[in-house]
Amino acid sequence: MIEVNNLKKEYLEEDVTTKALRGVTFSIEQGEFVSIMGPSGSGKSTLLHILSFLDRPTGGSYKFQGKSIDDMTDRELAHVRNSDMGFVFQSFNLLSRLTVYDNVEIPLLYSEIPSAKRKNLVEEAIKSVGLEDKIYTEAARLSGGQKQRVAIARALVTDPNVIFADEPTGNLDSQSGLQVMEIFEALNKKGRTVILVTHETQTAEFANRIIRIKDGVVESDKAIIANQHHRNNLK
Amino acid sequence: MLYKDAFKTATRSLTHGKMRSILTMLGIVIGIASVIILMSIGQSAQNLILGQVQSIGSNLIIIMPGAPTNGKFSSPASSQGIIITSLQQRDVDDLQREPSVMAVAPEVRGQASVVYGNNNVSVGYAGATTDLFEVSNLTIGKGQKFSKSDVDSANHVAVIGPDLANTLFGPSLNPIDKTIRVKNISFRVVGVLSKGGTGAFGVDMGNLVILPITVAQKQLLGMNYFNVIIAKANPNYDINFAKSRITFSLRQNHGITDPNKDDFTIQTQADILSLLGNITSILTIFLAAIASISLVVGGIGIMNIMLVSVTERTREIGLRKAVGATNNDILQQFLIESVLLTFVGGVIGILMGAIIVILIYFVLSTFFSIGWVFAFPISAVVMGLVVSGVSGIAFGIYPARKAGKKNPIDALRYE
Repeated sequence: MIEVNNLKKEYLEEDVTTKALRGVTFSIEQGEFVSIMGPSGSGKSTLLHILSFLDRPTGGSYKFQGKSIDDMTDRELAHVRNSDMGFVFQSFNLLSRLTVYDNVEIPLLYSEIPSAKRKNLVEEAIKSVGLEDKIYTEAARLSGGQKQRVAIARALVTDPNVIFADEPTGNLDSQSGLQVMEIFEALNKKGRTVILVTHETQTAEFANRIIRIKDGVVESDKAIIANQHHRNNLK
Repeated sequence: MLYKDAFKTATRSLTHGKMRSILTMLGIVIGIASVIILMSIGQSAQNLILGQVQSIGSNLIIIMPGAPTNGKFSSPASSQGIIITSLQQRDVDDLQREPSVMAVAPEVRGQASVVYGNNNVSVGYAGATTDLFEVSNLTIGKGQKFSKSDVDSANHVAVIGPDLANTLFGPSLNPIDKTIRVKNISFRVVGVLSKGGTGAFGVDMGNLVILPITVAQKQLLGMNYFNVIIAKANPNYDINFAKSRITFSLRQNHGITDPNKDDFTIQTQADILSLLGNITSILTIFLAAIASISLVVGGIGIMNIMLVSVTERTREIGLRKAVGATNNDILQQFLIESVLLTFVGGVIGILMGAIIVILIYFVLSTFFSIGWVFAFPISAVVMGLVVSGVSGIAFGIYPARKAGKKNPIDALRYE
């Protein structure tokens, strides 16, 4: 589903070239739950941005569902982001003046899904994160954990194949963080690919594979057995 | 993105900052309102002026001595004080035989002091035939007009304007059959005009003395030509046909073969109307052009606020792009917002303009008793709507493009 080969990303700022990725190679199959870990500045966020079509690489190749990013226009990337990818950010990125319903509906506004079907999809997505009683509450009035669950509902509403999460528990207390991770786990069990960037080991161990990035290259890439012990500790 | 959704998204973000949206619109509201008000006032003034000209009579042909000048806006030599004797009794006789002309009224004009008892006023007088009353739509309030035989036998009779009657005789005395002296010649007043006001050529009808043309020509002015001939076209004929017949007849009488050497000028009322219409239209356009400066200022205000809004909502733009909005979706959203601002501003401006125009009309007609014609041209409304919509696009396109081009990653990271 995802194949990266010798992926490179360089930034040129004020005549100084920063090499964020120096040649990353791996592939991810449909249905995997992958954590990308690394210290800050390691390039893990850059990698996630490229994987999620928010940015383009400066070298190497990236194929998503068999299609190379280099062959796609910005418009096509936007379309794929809309229909095949879901996003969850550390800082939620909700429009705070809109209600939960309106926030979750946003991706559908840019999709080809007819408006008659939307209400159902939005309600279903909100229900799947357990916020049906907050459906018409303004996003600004929610707690951090609730906000992140709204963001997950927004990521789910177009029924994407893969969900990208960038430090989804970074702004949450451990209790809310656990709830959010359990939602990701459940989504993965239903067959969705989840790709998670984090620097917290406990969060990363919800996955069944951990790719460690350091200084722009893959340091290690290991399958793990999700450790119930950590979860108990978190609880 | 569907237009319905784009529209909903735009209205939502505008209503979230109501105060800001209202203040932003204010520039456009004032601009459109002032354009509407000035166009309406211009139109009203035009109607008022043209209405006065039309009240002289719609099928009049005015023949003046002297060659026509080339410029549309300059007057013939005769009206600049140069004595030209080309219009003679023979011309009048010939025109009276012309079937396309219904009535011919030759006129001479002068200025004289008019005396009754101790009252002495200097006024304009006109020597005329009885046809003048017909062609100029003059009606008699008291007494009667002088007769054809008065003209033929050069009787010393006079018809005077109502204001003059009041000055000479006061409100109680009946002017009829009183004797007044014009240039020291005695005239018996036979009639008083029913109303004053300004007549053709700006003549003050209220203070006019009308005498038989025979008396005025021979005894007051000592001349045998006319200052003007007013002809009334036969309604069964086209007025331009009558005009061409008159031209032909006069050229023949005056032995003119080269049309460039005419010694007379013919104007129809339509010529005068189109001239005045041109002048007032230019004035209206001029006024509207000045008012539209405020529209440009309002438009720049909108651009300014939209730019601020784009910067403020950078993260929103990033998020929308991340979940699938294309550059065009974002551009469209911001463009709809600015067009909506200007369009709603335009509608409010039109309504405000209409209210102010009605107030002006009310004040002028109630407190100043000016016969102001209420005019609210549809063209101004259409123009107001189009201009406000277009300025929304013109001033919104730059901020909207800026929003659309934002890189999603940078936008999401924006603090």
